[in-house]
Amino acid sequence: MPPPAELHAQLVALLPRLRRFARSLTRNVHDADDLVQLAIERALARAAQLQADAPLAGWMYGIVRNAWLDEVRARERRQRLLTPDVGDSLAGRVSGPTDAEQLAVQEALASLPEEQRSAVALVLIEGLSYKEAAYALGVPVGTLTSRLARGRGALQRLLGEPGPQA
Amino acid sequence: MTFDDETVMAYVDGELEPPARVALEAAMACDPQLLRRVEAQRALRARLQRACAPLLEEPVPERLLDAARGARAPAAVPPLPRARPPVRRWSWPQWSAIAASLVVGALFGPPLLHPPDGSVTARDGRLLATGALAQALSRQLVSTQAPNAAVRIGLSFRRRDGAYCRSFLLRAPSPLAGVACREQDAWRMQVLAGAPPGPAVGDYRPAAAAMPAAVTGTVDALIAGEPLDAAAEAAARGRAWSQ
Repeated sequence: MPPPAELHAQLVALLPRLRRFARSLTRNVHDADDLVQLAIERALARAAQLQADAPLAGWMYGIVRNAWLDEVRARERRQRLLTPDVGDSLAGRVSGPTDAEQLAVQEALASLPEEQRSAVALVLIEGLSYKEAAYALGVPVGTLTSRLARGRGALQRLLGEPGPQA
Repeated sequence: MTFDDETVMAYVDGELEPPARVALEAAMACDPQLLRRVEAQRALRARLQRACAPLLEEPVPERLLDAARGARAPAAVPPLPRARPPVRRWSWPQWSAIAASLVVGALFGPPLLHPPDGSVTARDGRLLATGALAQALSRQLVSTQAPNAAVRIGLSFRRRDGAYCRSFLLRAPSPLAGVACREQDAWRMQVLAGAPPGPAVGDYRPAAAAMPAAVTGTVDALIAGEPLDAAAEAAARGRAWSQ
């Protein structure tokens, strides 16, 4: 593992990207920030497991995503009174995208199954290599690429092509 | 030679090894349909990146920076929220944005997207108590307040940075509960929540017992040590809640 000070500095530098990835999972900024916080604490508690040559970003994305899967399972167990959709729409008003194009893209992303959404977010948005993304998601590269292909196909159908030129 | 979708995607993602890449590039040069498929994948990738890029520009909340620096004791970390809102700091100027971010508990009452008359105001991106609410926060003591007071104070406590905070319950114009902390000579809202309809007059339950989970969760997240007892609360008031 890297020396603690270096690890902390790397984590701080990763925060904006981790928040963005978490947002693609939770769809609202408050849950996303809670998720990132939880993931950082888990990561620091497990820092000894991080090998010096392991990619920190891939490792962190994986922890964020696993924390989210834990949370989803816990929510299902609790059978929340407030359904996710109600919560999400409330949160969406708080700090969702204001730009119509951003909104369209984020809604399209949100409609994908979680597995495809994670693959798309890590490779197409976060810019991870297939190998890094597969490592983060704990799946073989072939599984990642097939999720990615299905996710892309769905996005193209949802968003239409070509997209508006910025 | 034909190229399947995954190969085209891998090319766009920079994941195609040189022999296959060279073959695909050569084919693209004389196959307009292949070129269109590549362009469509490029456009999608660029579109996603463009739409999501602004998220990187958002300020990172202090609490996450603290967590990443290891500045926070793990024991103090709240679990992920249920209906509880996490504690946040706000900088948006408009009331509606601030209010929407502070207000939770949509199960109770109408959305509070406009300020309840005269009790809360937005100033410089902060949501501050005014009027009767500010008066009560500054003057009223838990130990001596009337059970039917318009504003009831739940708990007084100190935040980790030493600031005094108080939870409160407001019955009118609509049931509203929250936590305010003394910052720069004003009571700044930390959370606001719709409260369940009030107990009948003459209900002597302590206000703290009637607080929505959002408020008690915020207290849990903010409090350092124990709530103030009657003597400490009176002493804090005597110092005008300055640290």
